Amino acid sequence: MTEELDFLGQDSDGGSEEVVLTPAELIERLEQAWMNEKFAPELLESKPEIVECVMEQLEHMEENLRRAKREDLKVSIHQMEMERIRYVLSSYLRCRLMKIEKFFPHVLEKEKTRPEGEPSSLSPEELAFAREFMVNTETYLKNVALKHMPPNLQKVDLFRAVPKPDLDSYVFLRVRERQENILVEPDTDEQRDYVIDLEKGSQHLIRYKTIAPLVASGAVQLI
Amino acid sequence: MDAAEVEFLAEKEQVTIIPNFSLDKIYLIGGDLGPFNPGLPVEVPLWLAVNLKQRQKCRLLPPEWMDVKKLEKMRDHERKEETFTPMPSPYYMELTKLLLNHASDNIPKADEIRTLVKDMWDTRIAKLRVSADSFVRQQEARQRGEHHTPGLCHCTPALSQKQTNKRKTKTSNQ
Repeated sequence: MTEELDFLGQDSDGGSEEVVLTPAELIERLEQAWMNEKFAPELLESKPEIVECVMEQLEHMEENLRRAKREDLKVSIHQMEMERIRYVLSSYLRCRLMKIEKFFPHVLEKEKTRPEGEPSSLSPEELAFAREFMVNTETYLKNVALKHMPPNLQKVDLFRAVPKPDLDSYVFLRVRERQENILVEPDTDEQRDYVIDLEKGSQHLIRYKTIAPLVASGAVQLI
Repeated sequence: MDAAEVEFLAEKEQVTIIPNFSLDKIYLIGGDLGPFNPGLPVEVPLWLAVNLKQRQKCRLLPPEWMDVKKLEKMRDHERKEETFTPMPSPYYMELTKLLLNHASDNIPKADEIRTLVKDMWDTRIAKLRVSADSFVRQQEARQRGEHHTPGLCHCTPALSQKQTNKRKTKTSNQ
């Protein structure tokens, strides 16, 4: 009785196409998004389709359990699974919120200057949250400190004051699709740039910036 | 990622149980399980296996690699090789801990197994320290991590952090 879900995914041309996923595949995607978000230093593309579909699945299952007979064991097994899925979903969303709070001026700037057709890093709710957070921070700083400063020091440029995500930090990854000719730039000036191939199934420790587009495309999985 | 989260991922691994109850097939979101019949082996994810065992509803079967002779061979191989060797499961450490803590009565020579797995872990941690040191000192831009298990990558924040910190110190000194 595994139903298939109509899942609105994006194909490589940026157009939407319906990708049919089983619930198991959906949970797999959620877990992949969760791990990528956990290990990436910057806020990744928002995945509203995954979040919505998972919430639908959980609600659906909740409904079924309410209507089901009082079969303690079966019900408790379903509930345990739902708790596990809820944990991954909340952890994923919490991780994103933490990054939004940490990098809010940069996240908002990125959203403002985002080209048409490029997917957003923020869901509508996250965007509203980020904006409110910015306004609240500005008001707080003004009321607690800035308005007591000499007149020429009453402005603070949050974009300059708040650190940017460190895209040069190192991450572990597993390769899902073979990649060729990835340019690696070493830290020292004595070492020259070199090019590597990433074989499918191999694992590496590498600077995030080098492989950031591969995370977005799903070619590698952060571990 | 902390150890608890690695364990959470490890709990998805399939293990075989022998239930003492009957239940029709269940259709979980993540896949179908069962049907369950007393005395007949069935594969379930570790999180369910441990829970059923705690409720005294099943017996756990150790995975095929959880055997003293096999583990001895693996441990000796790991000690001999300078690089990391393949592990029987990406979550061998977590599986061993959970199975031995909850079902040591179902696993023959549990103590020996615990010691052997700990030896393999210690050897690998030592190798990780050596490779991390050389990675940072030589300021490598990239390192292969074949046969690194998730538990190993995240047992200390050290490896990925060390390289990042070294680079930060260097650029701030310039």
